[in-house]
Amino acid sequence: MSATATGIFHDSYASELRLCHTRAEKRRLVLTLALLSALPWALDGYWLGVVNGIGIAAIGAVGLNLLCGFSGQISLGHAGFMAVGAFTSALLSTRLGLPAPLGIGAAVLLSAALGALVGLPALRVEGVYLAIATLASQQIIEFIVCRWSWLTQGRGFLDVPRLGFLGDHVSRLTFERSWYWLILGVATLALLGARNLLRSALGRSLMAVRDHDVAAATIGIDVARAKLTAFALSSGYAGLAGALCAQYSEIVSWERFTLDVSVQYLGMIIVGGLGSLAGSVYGAVFIGLLPPLLSELATLASSGGSSWTAQLPALQLGAFGAAIVLFLLFEPRGLARLWQRALDYFGSWPFRY
Amino acid sequence: MTHHRTLHLPIALSALAALLCACTPQRNEHDIVIGVLADLTGPTADVGRPYHEGMLAAIDDLNAHGGIRRRHIQALSEDYGYKVPTAEEKYKKYVQASVVAVQGWGTGDSEALRRKVAGDELPFMSASYAEVLTDPEQSPYNFVVAATYSDQMRIALDQIAAADPQAQVAVFHHDSPFGNAPIADGKQWIASRGYQLGYQEYAMKAGATDYVASLQRAQQQGARYLIVQNVASPAATLARDIAAQKLGMKIVCLNWCSDELFVQLAGPAAEGTWMVQPFAPPSVPQPGHEPLKQYCAAKGIDFESAGVHFVQGWYTLQVMAGGLAKLLADGRELSGKNLRGALETMGPVDTGGVIGPIRFSAASHRGATAAGVYVVEHGKLVERARALTPRS
Amino acid sequence: MSQLLLLSVYGLANGAILALAALGFVLIYKASGVVNFAQGELLLIGAYAFYGARCLLHLPLALAALLSVLVAAALGALIERLVLRRLVGEAPIVLVMVTIGLSALFRALVQLGFGTAPREMPKLLPAGSVELAGAALPVDRLLAILASALVLGAFGALFRWSRHGVAMRAMADDQRAALAQGISVSRVFALAWGLAAVSALIGGVLLADITEVSQNLAGFGVLVFPVVILGGLDSVPGTILGGAIIGLASQYAEGLCPGASSIASHLLLVALLVLRPHGLLGEPRIERV
Repeated sequence: MSATATGIFHDSYASELRLCHTRAEKRRLVLTLALLSALPWALDGYWLGVVNGIGIAAIGAVGLNLLCGFSGQISLGHAGFMAVGAFTSALLSTRLGLPAPLGIGAAVLLSAALGALVGLPALRVEGVYLAIATLASQQIIEFIVCRWSWLTQGRGFLDVPRLGFLGDHVSRLTFERSWYWLILGVATLALLGARNLLRSALGRSLMAVRDHDVAAATIGIDVARAKLTAFALSSGYAGLAGALCAQYSEIVSWERFTLDVSVQYLGMIIVGGLGSLAGSVYGAVFIGLLPPLLSELATLASSGGSSWTAQLPALQLGAFGAAIVLFLLFEPRGLARLWQRALDYFGSWPFRY
Repeated sequence: MTHHRTLHLPIALSALAALLCACTPQRNEHDIVIGVLADLTGPTADVGRPYHEGMLAAIDDLNAHGGIRRRHIQALSEDYGYKVPTAEEKYKKYVQASVVAVQGWGTGDSEALRRKVAGDELPFMSASYAEVLTDPEQSPYNFVVAATYSDQMRIALDQIAAADPQAQVAVFHHDSPFGNAPIADGKQWIASRGYQLGYQEYAMKAGATDYVASLQRAQQQGARYLIVQNVASPAATLARDIAAQKLGMKIVCLNWCSDELFVQLAGPAAEGTWMVQPFAPPSVPQPGHEPLKQYCAAKGIDFESAGVHFVQGWYTLQVMAGGLAKLLADGRELSGKNLRGALETMGPVDTGGVIGPIRFSAASHRGATAAGVYVVEHGKLVERARALTPRS
Repeated sequence: MSQLLLLSVYGLANGAILALAALGFVLIYKASGVVNFAQGELLLIGAYAFYGARCLLHLPLALAALLSVLVAAALGALIERLVLRRLVGEAPIVLVMVTIGLSALFRALVQLGFGTAPREMPKLLPAGSVELAGAALPVDRLLAILASALVLGAFGALFRWSRHGVAMRAMADDQRAALAQGISVSRVFALAWGLAAVSALIGGVLLADITEVSQNLAGFGVLVFPVVILGGLDSVPGTILGGAIIGLASQYAEGLCPGASSIASHLLLVALLVLRPHGLLGEPRIERV
C-alpha cells in the first residue's frame, strides 16, 4: 500500500469491503470515471477504435494477471483461449442464431473448461516446463483453429453479424461510441469481479499457492484445485475478451490469435505490473497505444523526407521488445509500481518518505 | 531542489502532445483522397512492393498530367504487413481522414473489410481476385479488376485437359483463405465440363524449408501437372524441389507466382513452366505498356525489372481513376456511394492490351474474365495463348 | 524404401540444425539456469552476420567466418553481462519474458538493418544430388548433417577434455563448490552465452544455405523446445538425440498429412511433459522443501 493509505482502521465488515478507503482514492476514482465518460466526445472515430481495442485487451490482461501475477503460474497460451471464445461466440451467433449475450456467456464457460484442461500439466510441472507446455497448447489450438474447416466452412474466416441494437448502417463514429460504452461496462464488471475474487478465500488461496505451494498444502489448501481454478478463471477472461473481439470486429480468423498475441499479453502484464489489477489496465494501455503513437511519430518524421514509415512494423516490434527489456531491468514491478511511487512521493512531500 | 526535475516529464509529454496535434499533414481541400493498404514487409511483400510502387507511380503520373479534372489525387498509404488487425486499424484511420475509396491488397484484408466498406459506403479495389468479391449481393462495394482465382483455375484446367485429358492434377496452395479460394471451384469445373482429370489439393505450409513430403504424396497420386496458387518464393522452392528430385511434373502457376521473381528464384527449374497471368508482363510488350515505359524512363526506373506486378498496380489504379473521372464529369458530389455508381456505369476502361477492357455493372463487379497463358523459355515469359476465358 | 530414405535425409538435416540451435539453449540452461526464448533470433543474427561479412563487406570465406563468430560471441557475452546479470534470482516468468523481449528486439533490429526481402548468398554447400537406393538425396543436406555432427562432436570434446569445458560442467553441478575451487562465475556465464551464440550462428548459416537468408529463420526457434524437452534441458548428448527424433518425426508426419509437421512435435512435447518431463537423457529434478 502507498504511504497515503496508512492510518485506516476498519470497524465493520462493510467498511473493509468498500472500494475506496481514503478520500484521495475516492477523488481519483471520480476523476477517472469523469475522464472515461468524456472520452467518446473528445476522440474521433479512429482513436476511439484504438481505445476500444485497449479495453478488450485490458479484460484479457486482467485474466492473465490472475494466472501469472496472483497465482504464480505462467501461460504462453492466452491467445489460444481467446480464439476458443471468439469462435464459440461467432459460431453460436451465426449457426444457431443465439442472441449475442448468450453466445458470449457460452464462450466464457467453454474457454474456462478448456483452460482447466490445459492447466492439468500445471499439476505435474512448473516454471519453465509449464511455460513450454502452455506454448505447446497455444500451437495446438492455433493448428486446430486454422485447419478445422468445419469451423469456417472452408472459407478460412467467419463473418459475425452486427450486434442487434446497433443497426446495419450506422456511421463509424456511432458504431465506435456504442461499442465504447459496452466495452467500458464489461471491463468494469470484469475488474470488479477480479478484485472481489482476490479479496475472497479463493483469491487468498491462489496467492498462497503462488508464494509457496508446499506451505499452502500444509495449511490445508487444495493446491491442485487452486491451480486449476486459476487456469479456468484466466481462460474464462480470455474467452470473454475473444468473444468481444469477435463481435466488435465482425470477423473471426485464426490470424488474430497467434503466439505473437500471447506474447503481447504477457508483455502487457509485465509492463503494467505482475500481481496488480490496475497494472493490467496500465499495461494494456501502454502496449495498446504503442503502435498507433509510433505510427503518428513515423508519419511526422517522414514529412521531413526520411522514410521511417517504411520501417514502421520493425520499429513497432523493436519498441515492444525494448519496452519489455527496459521495464524488467529498471522497474520489474511495472507501471503500477511507478504510479505508486509517484503517489508516495507527492503524498509524503516535502518529506522523503 | 529536486522537485523541478519531476516536472520535466509532464512538460515533455505535453509538448509532444501539442506537437502531434499541431502537425497534421497539410491537405488541399480540392484533393481526392484515397486510402492504400500495402504489404511491404509481410509474407507477400515480394509481390506487394512492386504492386504498391506501380500504384503510386500511376498516381504520380496522373497528378503530373494535371490530375483528374484538375483535382489531384492524394494517396494515404500505409504498410500493414498482411496482418488483418493492422489492416482494420489503418482502415479506420482512412475513414477518419474522409477517403472516398480504398485500395486494398490481399484476400485477408479484403475479406475482413468487406462488410465494413459496405457499411461505410467506400468502394474497395484490391489485388485479391477471390470470386466472392465479384458478387454485388455479397460484397456490394468490392470491385475485382482481373480474372478471379477461380477463373484462372478454370483456364488452367482447360489448358491441361486440352494437352492431356487423362492427367492427374495436384493443386499446391498457400495455407490461407487466399490459397483456398479456387480449390472448390476447380473441382466443380472438372465435374461440370466432364473432364477426366484427377484432382487433389495440398496445403503448402508457410515458412517450410522443403515440400518433399507433399511432393512424394503427389507422386503417389501420379500427378503430372501441378497447379500452384501461391506467391513467388514458395513456388520457386517447390520448383527447385521438383527439379532436384527429377519428378518430371509440369508446373502451372496462377497469377501470383506467374512473374519474373519466380523465374529468378527458381532458376533453371523454372523452364517450361506454364503461367496464367491476366496482366501482360513487360517482356511481352503491349501498347498499354507505353505510358509506363515513359514514366519509368523519366524517373530512371528499369521497366523490365519492375515486373508484371508493377503493371498490375498501375492499371488497377487507372480503373479507379476512370470511375473518378466519370463521377467528376457527371458533376456529382465526390462520395463513396456516388463513386460506386460511377464505376458501375462507366464505359469499358481500355488498357491497351495489357488486360482486356475492364467493365463493371450493377449486377457484376467482375471487371474482366480473360487471362493470358505464358510459358517460361530461356528465363523469360513468352506468350503461349492470349486472352483466354474459361471455356463455356 | 527410397521414399523413407528421402524423408529421413530431409528430416535428419532439419534435426541436425535443430540440434545445433538446441545445443546453445542447453549450454545456457546448464550454466546459468536461464531458458532462452531468443534462440531462434540468435540463429537469425548469426546467418545475417555471416551474410553481411560475406556479401556486403565482400570478405573471403575464412575471414567472414571469423568475423561472424566474433560478432556472435560478443553478442552472447553482451546479453549476459548487460541484461541477465541484473536479473539473477528473479522469478522464472521474469527471465522468460526478458528473453522474449530480447527476441522481439533482435528481430526488429535485423529487419531495420536488412529489410524483410530474402537475400541471395552464394551457396557454401554444393548443389546436386546423390543416387542411393532409388532416391535422389540432396548433397547439401547430407553435408549439413555431416557439418552439424562435426560441430556437435567438437563441442562435446570441448566439454569433456578442455579446462573451460570442465569448468562449465562444474558450474552446472554446483555453483558454490565451483566458486570455492576458484572458477570464475562471470567468466563461465559469458563463455556459455558466447558459445551458445556461436553454435546458433553455425546452425543459422547452414539453414540459410539450404533455404534462404530471410526472416523465416527465426521461426526455427519455436521448434527448439520439443527438442530440448525430449533430450533433457540439461543434457548435451540429449540435443543430438532430441534433434534427430524431432526432425525425423516431423518429416514423417508431414508425409502422412500435409501441414502436420509442427503439430506432431508439439503433441510429442505435451506427451513428454506429462509422462517424463526431464526428457530421455536429462536428470530428474528433485524439489527440496
